[in-house]
Amino acid sequence: MLARLAANRLNQIRQTFRQPARAFSTALNYHLDSPDNNPNLPWEFNDANKAKVKEILSHYPTNYKQSAVIPLLDLAQQQHGGWLPVSAMNAVAKVIEVAPIRVYEVATFYSMFNRSKVGKYHLLVCGTTPCMIRGSREIEEALLKHLGVKRNEVTQDGFFSVGEMECMGCCVNAPMITVADYSNGSEGYTYNYYEDVTPEKVVEIVEKLRKGEKPPHGTQNPQRIRSGPAGGNTTLLSDPKPPPCRDLDAC
Amino acid sequence: MASVVKSIIDGVKEKGLGGFFRHLKNEGYLRCLPDGNLLQTKIHNIGATLVGVDKFGNKYYEKTENTQYGRHRWVEYAEKTRYNASQVPAEWHGWLHFITDHTGDEVKFVCFLNLFPWKYHMLRKYKPHYNICNEFVLQLLLLKPKRYGVEHKENLSGHGEEFIYHSKGHALNPGQRNWTRYQPWQSTNEP
Amino acid sequence: MGLGLLASKAIRPTTRLINFQNPNNLFLRTIVSKPELRNPEPAAAQPEQPLVDLSPRTPVGGARVHFPNPDDAIEVFVDGFPVKIPKGFSVLQACEVAGVDIPRFCYHSRLSIAGNCRMCLVEVEKSPKPVASCAMPALPGMKIKTDTPVAKKAREGVMEFLLMNHPLDCPICDQGGECDLQDQSMAFGSDRGRFTEMKRSVVDKNLGPLVKTVMTRCIQCTRCVRFASEVAGVQDLGMLGRGSGEEIGTYVEKLMTSELSGNVIDICPVGALTSKPFAFKARNWELKNTETIDVTDAVGSNIRIDSRGPEVMRIVPRLNEDINEEWISDKTRFCYDGLKRQRLNDPMIRGPDGRFKPVNWREALSVVAEVAHQVKPEEIVGISGKLSDAESMIVLKDFLNRLGSNNVWGEGIGVNTNADLRSGYIMNTSIAGLEKADAFLLVGTQPRVEAAMVNARIRKTVTVNQAKVGYIGPATDFNYDNQHLGTGPQTLIDIAEGRHPFSKIISNAKHPVIIVGGGIFERKDQDAIFAAVETIAKQGNVVRSDWNGLNVLLLHAAQAAALDLGLVPQSENSLESAKFVYLMGADDTNLDKIPKDAFVVYQGHHGDKSVYRANVILPAAAFSEKEGIYENTEGCTQQTWPAVPTVGDSRDDWKIIRALSEVAEVRLPYDTIGGVRARLRTVAPNLVQIDEREPAALPSSLRPTFTQKMDPTPFGVAVENFYMTDAITRASKIMAQCSAMLLKK
Repeated sequence: MLARLAANRLNQIRQTFRQPARAFSTALNYHLDSPDNNPNLPWEFNDANKAKVKEILSHYPTNYKQSAVIPLLDLAQQQHGGWLPVSAMNAVAKVIEVAPIRVYEVATFYSMFNRSKVGKYHLLVCGTTPCMIRGSREIEEALLKHLGVKRNEVTQDGFFSVGEMECMGCCVNAPMITVADYSNGSEGYTYNYYEDVTPEKVVEIVEKLRKGEKPPHGTQNPQRIRSGPAGGNTTLLSDPKPPPCRDLDAC
Repeated sequence: MASVVKSIIDGVKEKGLGGFFRHLKNEGYLRCLPDGNLLQTKIHNIGATLVGVDKFGNKYYEKTENTQYGRHRWVEYAEKTRYNASQVPAEWHGWLHFITDHTGDEVKFVCFLNLFPWKYHMLRKYKPHYNICNEFVLQLLLLKPKRYGVEHKENLSGHGEEFIYHSKGHALNPGQRNWTRYQPWQSTNEP
Repeated sequence: MGLGLLASKAIRPTTRLINFQNPNNLFLRTIVSKPELRNPEPAAAQPEQPLVDLSPRTPVGGARVHFPNPDDAIEVFVDGFPVKIPKGFSVLQACEVAGVDIPRFCYHSRLSIAGNCRMCLVEVEKSPKPVASCAMPALPGMKIKTDTPVAKKAREGVMEFLLMNHPLDCPICDQGGECDLQDQSMAFGSDRGRFTEMKRSVVDKNLGPLVKTVMTRCIQCTRCVRFASEVAGVQDLGMLGRGSGEEIGTYVEKLMTSELSGNVIDICPVGALTSKPFAFKARNWELKNTETIDVTDAVGSNIRIDSRGPEVMRIVPRLNEDINEEWISDKTRFCYDGLKRQRLNDPMIRGPDGRFKPVNWREALSVVAEVAHQVKPEEIVGISGKLSDAESMIVLKDFLNRLGSNNVWGEGIGVNTNADLRSGYIMNTSIAGLEKADAFLLVGTQPRVEAAMVNARIRKTVTVNQAKVGYIGPATDFNYDNQHLGTGPQTLIDIAEGRHPFSKIISNAKHPVIIVGGGIFERKDQDAIFAAVETIAKQGNVVRSDWNGLNVLLLHAAQAAALDLGLVPQSENSLESAKFVYLMGADDTNLDKIPKDAFVVYQGHHGDKSVYRANVILPAAAFSEKEGIYENTEGCTQQTWPAVPTVGDSRDDWKIIRALSEVAEVRLPYDTIGGVRARLRTVAPNLVQIDEREPAALPSSLRPTFTQKMDPTPFGVAVENFYMTDAITRASKIMAQCSAMLLKK
């Protein structure tokens, strides 16, 4: 009887401490050194990316190099397999000639800059209202259960990690996930949406990705063409009517 | 009344007459004559349950039935001639003043439930024949004073300058602090 | 009740009938109505003219308004009061001129405008929403209203938001009692909040042994971030994250190594950044404030010593626009615990066994006087220390002169120092004047460690005027852009002869400044170096009638006054042939040259280095315990005031020497400090004009010619350890911690 009482009380205690697994990709706002993420590790843009860096810097005035911080951080993230170690941020700071703390500020502000490890395929599930009411929670649960991880955790083989994302604009094709493909470095970086997914379909996609195939992106509902309705359009069947007067000067 | 006579006869049987009278003196029955309070307490003790004894020897009694509410818990002090309320230590004070039902001799069990990583505290009365299961580890922590606690001392005001409390800066405080706010130069004896 | 009754009595004629009917008039109440009250729109009919108090108002804090272009002044109306302000002022500054203090958290007059706290919201006519007054430029004819319900509601709302995530730390927070949040919530906040959720908490960051951080209390005003990047020049702090999860930090584990890092403690409006040595020591209302001057370097920053009883609890800066603005360096701020350690408190005489024995003053003085008379006059030497005030230096010189000796000099002053021309050893451009410069040539000086406030001023000039800085000396860290031109006098010669590209920069500059370091005085070839510098000055037109850009940055607080009073060594070997040496606080002189049988008297406040060679110790007062005149490197005379009583049996320096002179039968003619100051006036009258800067009268080109060759050894570093420069800082535990943790290795 004692054990039962104890177990009940324990469950009560656990419940108050149970947080939904809300580890953000933003992670902590301060850096803790670890063997694969510390300022002493050297990091450089590889040669192909160095050319890209020059090209990016040419978009901005030469005395405002620091405007290029976001594209450069994105490039560094792609090169490093989906996440930004501290040494990459320091390297970007050197390129744009700014103190490193300014780069850290930008990197911590945006949640798409991952400052901790992600999988080769970073799966992002849209969790905003339109997707949510169409079942994004089940999609996420299916993914998490299938991969055996919690949110923002990487699988053992390093292939997948699941994160939550804000609205990506495919509300018509809700629910949807997007796959950030970091498996081929910055040349092979793709960011593809997989829309109209169901919990089974999403598991299929994951398995296909694991084998190295490239499942077709876009809507996964075979009856739809992009964001059109299933079964074809019911309106807008013909070309639009020309304006009443093509010759504007005459009107 | 009958129980009183019975206990007297039993006492005499056990200890012998001389021993019995010595026992009476120790228990303070002799002091009952000049001290009416003690007599009242002794009379109240008849029919009461002895709840516990503390480390100074004070006995704590409780009589729930047939007693006026407010008089159902009391203490009989160990020191029968000079007794005062400050002799009650902290752990019994709460019980005595009807603040709590935890008596001063309770025991904290610390359980290490194998299945869960958290420790789980339960307060139980100390029962000598308690069944120790393999999941529980019994630790007798008789509410020991915490790191900062000092042993209970009765209030010694009026007993003389060397007993009463003096603040840190008082001239009669035995452990005087050094109030100089600077450190004078100490030579390190290096050339 | 009473008013209605009175009003009704005024309207109705009181008749005896009514009185008779109702003897107890107190309970008879009537409803009073007047024709004006029956009017349905009273407010619209007569718009109330608010009573505007048009008497002249003083600006907030006694500030003075400076009009750079007097014909560019504009007029705005603050709460109906017309006020004239210069063109670029913001609404908040306009209200300050009008005497209205607007609450703010993120705005600071010396930092850039952030506008993120929103506490300064005021109502401006014709604006649909309240306006952030710190950021909004004041336009002519603007009607600013600061006490309307809109403005008040805005403040209450902002206060409520700020307090939502603020922990209930007031009892344990060091800033309690001097907290902006507390004061402004009492004055401008509402009495209750409506927040019932969980508050967020933030992890504390380790910023070093000086700044204690409790980041949960941070209200994200970003004042510290702006201070660190703008004034201190180190970009260490930043705002990481976004939304309510924002944290101020360094992201990576980095300590704040800047020498101005202690100023973030003053700047932070809440208790997020507080002083670690002062943590939990005192509340600000228990402390007595004394306004004095700092003596740890030659800048003479104005400070306020907060003391409780006989103990100095903390040091806080005072506003002085000309010298240190509102900042002080870390050494100034945290050296106070050196005032409590290793203090000399009793006169001591070294016995025959080599150990010191405390004696009373009579014995100590008589022993010293006896030895002074047994020695020949030319064997008497006096050295005054880094922290000596002008009074004690003049008294020492007088005393030793009366004994027949002229071998008195101040520590750090070499033999050939020319103390005749004042312009040769002070900062002729005053510290405030450095702001006008547009080219700097730093010769053998590292202002960041020698005079941190001068460095802050140079940095300000470099940022604002885009001034170019050329530096000659060993490689050091600077917190502004500079060109490292060379390491030794050879570069100087190059510039003087026009071969170096930097000489063109100097000649093209409108206000060039040359700063020579005080370490030059220790070199043998100082005259040659000065000659080279003067050649550069002549070529670059550095010294003109309206601008004198040739400066010397002195190293210690006593040097300028010592040079003014003429405490220059006469010969190089005076120490070697000395038999009686009087060290007045001189801890940094090389005492090896003193012969073994010389009799050394040490008069000072700390048992630092020289005490070990002394035969007699006379305890003196430190700067926080005496009233003394100090002259800073720009020639501004300032005075310290005693904040705490002297320690043990120690006395003021000049009083000891005056007593000694009496015992030695060469009695000095003055008895009071007024008398000493009168004597000072005869030698150096500028030393009695307190708080005034006396510019040098004669230019240094009047220097006599010399016959010295320039020594090609490169310039050295005068201050090796910023945190341990004199007796007080060497005795301080906080400075020891800083030098262990914060020095750049």
